[in-house]
Amino acid sequence: MAIRQSIHRSIYNLGSKAIGAVTVVRDLWLLFIGAIAGVLRTMRRNDPSRRPGEIWRQMHSMGNRSLVFLIVTLGFIGMVMVYQSCLQLARVTGDYSQVGPQFIRLAVSDFAPTLTSLMLATRVGAGIAAEVGSMKVTEQVDALRMCGVAPIDFLISPRLVASFVVTIVLSILACGIMYGAGGLTAHYSFGVNLNIFFDPSNVRNSHVILGLIKAASFGIAIPIVSGYCGLAAHGSSEGVGRATTAAVIGSSFAVIALDFVISTLALLVMPGGV
Amino acid sequence: MANLISRMVTATAAAVTRVGTSALAVAHEVGGIAVLAGRVLRRLIPPRLDGRELWTNLFKMGNGSVPIIILTAFFSGGLMTLQSAPFVQKFGATALAGWAAGYAVLREIGPILIALMFSGRVGANNTAELATMTVTEQLDGLRALAIDPISFLIVPRVLAMIVALFALTVLGDLVALGGAAIVAHTVMGIEWATMYYSFADNLAPYDVLHGLYKSLAFGFAIALTSCYFGISVKGGSTGVGRAVNAAVVAAAVSIMLLDFFLTYLTG
Amino acid sequence: MSEVAGTELRNVDKRFGGRQVLRNVSLKALPGRRLGIIGPAASGKSVIAKLWCGLERPTSGDVFTLGHRLSTLPELAASQQRARIGMLFQNYALFDFLSVLDNVTFALQRRGDIPADEIQDRAAARLRAVGLAGSEHKFPSQLSGGMKKRVGIARATVAKPELVIYDEPTAGLDPVTTQKVYDLLASDHAQTGGTVIAISSDVLALARFVDDIAFLHDGKIRYLGPAADIENVPDLAVRQFVRGEQHGPLSQHVPTPAEDA
Repeated sequence: MAIRQSIHRSIYNLGSKAIGAVTVVRDLWLLFIGAIAGVLRTMRRNDPSRRPGEIWRQMHSMGNRSLVFLIVTLGFIGMVMVYQSCLQLARVTGDYSQVGPQFIRLAVSDFAPTLTSLMLATRVGAGIAAEVGSMKVTEQVDALRMCGVAPIDFLISPRLVASFVVTIVLSILACGIMYGAGGLTAHYSFGVNLNIFFDPSNVRNSHVILGLIKAASFGIAIPIVSGYCGLAAHGSSEGVGRATTAAVIGSSFAVIALDFVISTLALLVMPGGV
Repeated sequence: MANLISRMVTATAAAVTRVGTSALAVAHEVGGIAVLAGRVLRRLIPPRLDGRELWTNLFKMGNGSVPIIILTAFFSGGLMTLQSAPFVQKFGATALAGWAAGYAVLREIGPILIALMFSGRVGANNTAELATMTVTEQLDGLRALAIDPISFLIVPRVLAMIVALFALTVLGDLVALGGAAIVAHTVMGIEWATMYYSFADNLAPYDVLHGLYKSLAFGFAIALTSCYFGISVKGGSTGVGRAVNAAVVAAAVSIMLLDFFLTYLTG
Repeated sequence: MSEVAGTELRNVDKRFGGRQVLRNVSLKALPGRRLGIIGPAASGKSVIAKLWCGLERPTSGDVFTLGHRLSTLPELAASQQRARIGMLFQNYALFDFLSVLDNVTFALQRRGDIPADEIQDRAAARLRAVGLAGSEHKFPSQLSGGMKKRVGIARATVAKPELVIYDEPTAGLDPVTTQKVYDLLASDHAQTGGTVIAISSDVLALARFVDDIAFLHDGKIRYLGPAADIENVPDLAVRQFVRGEQHGPLSQHVPTPAEDA
């Protein structure tokens, strides 16, 4: 009997978790639509939620202040990936000529946007949730509404635009850093000729487009997930801490899951092409 | 002209000062983390820690992270298969599909992604918790009761995080290989048996070990950074958010650095 | 009750998750008069304030504010109605990214139909009235609690709203400052007219300021009547609260942690 009860309970728990997940996805979707509408609304000169210069400020705080962090992490991971590949090839064929061309193909179509966005999800996601969350728990979000300002237009929309731009730009930059760091590793550790390594002929337009689509989607997902966590914050400073943690894990997971979905779709749409 | 030069000199000086200040700040944090590491290690020989705290934390950090780690590992295995797909389809080399995906997942992508997710879930939570306790002076409260906060709070958490991340990486490796096989089968139509032999023939036990011992180092790094930024929080309740942010960033940087040096030193 | 509604709650229930905060509350704020709401902590006072601003929606029942049924109005229309309402939040809710002056002018600038110099003049006059001339360019983090409260009052009243809601205007202030704040609110009200709702747990100071008082306990209205009579109400709970007695119906209610949150 006890077993049956516990089975019932786990089915019930699973069910309520599934319903919870569906609700969250629906709310995220609504927030996304609302934020896009907010971007359009705040383009009008006299919209009460318009905030001149805010997008620049956000881009500065997301982009410029993530730069060193990104260069260090992406540089090292580029080095490791090339090192591991050469190590494996040393065991099998000892022919390193394909390492560079294959690496840049993978970096453009997947590693650069995905790893950049994972790093941004920790730094930018936590920042958004902490800012929006502390405004929520101190009732500043309600005070905005009292002033005729729509909180989503005012808080989320500028962050959405900024993150969109910053993620794409930083992904391109990160791709260059990974490629450069990887090339130097191959050259100094395995004696690969730099001209052979830096041969981008493998990269086709479809790879670049796929990479950009990924960067753009991640750049949208991070502020939406983190903004959702921030706006859902309640309680006091502990609530802000919870929201920040949820934003980091939520936006990182969103990046991985979206990467999987987009990669699968790309392979199904263009078999062998990507 | 002279005006321009003097302005450039001032700007350069300001930039140098900024670089210097941030370098000093980084050195300060690194030193603080090293001191904390020393304190933790000193309490391990002979072990002086609270056993019940260790079990509670193990359960909370380990069991609580299982769903997110399973999902992450599944996706990372599947992703690596998808990345090798063009090669495999171009040359019809289905026997190599498992090799590329397995090698990348076991050695690099699996441990790194699992560690990053662990840092986001467990590390960030731990920082927030310790920071709230520090801000509300609960650590001083422990000291007043003659309880050593490091033995009572920090050491169990550090040990729990190392053990939990190691165990989760073992689980994640299995799930990732499963994910790779499932994606290869459903998306690329590769037989189950082909995938199995591709794994079995091409992957060495050392590939698994390589990822696993790195996960021990990642666990230690996540534990130390998250505890350090938790207990050194400043600035009241707004400081908690800042501490969490700093902790996850520091954890990500240390994971990447450790990954490089361990790979370089041990191949 | 008449169909033409001013500012009132009709049979309002409000739940947060499984917790019932208001039970069948009906309450009316008469135009031109001052209504006080008192009650123990976590009795639902602030929720009433947010319902009247349309910041929260009732689980059931109707909320009317200045003649509009706010409980069914879409957010955009409700947002326009809020321009007629001033609100002082319990914890001030000052925008920490704006200076004191910008906090006060924020709502007026957002409307876009008032000339810039008029906004500046009105804000300066308001800040002088609350005794904060000279602090215009400070930020909220540099202010004491009492000063933040006064900025909040200036912000709530600068648009000359037809309805002003003060949530705990005097909490944490000493008796002399409390009286000063109420004098300020009274002189504002004398100048602008309109409806005033004040929420407080400090009964006696509030009773001198408002015309009518409602006593809220456990989500229900236990008393509604002239402020002057509050000390002679037969209801034991009200009497205990007003006189600060140790024993009575209120002492039996120990809030559980869930209710406290």
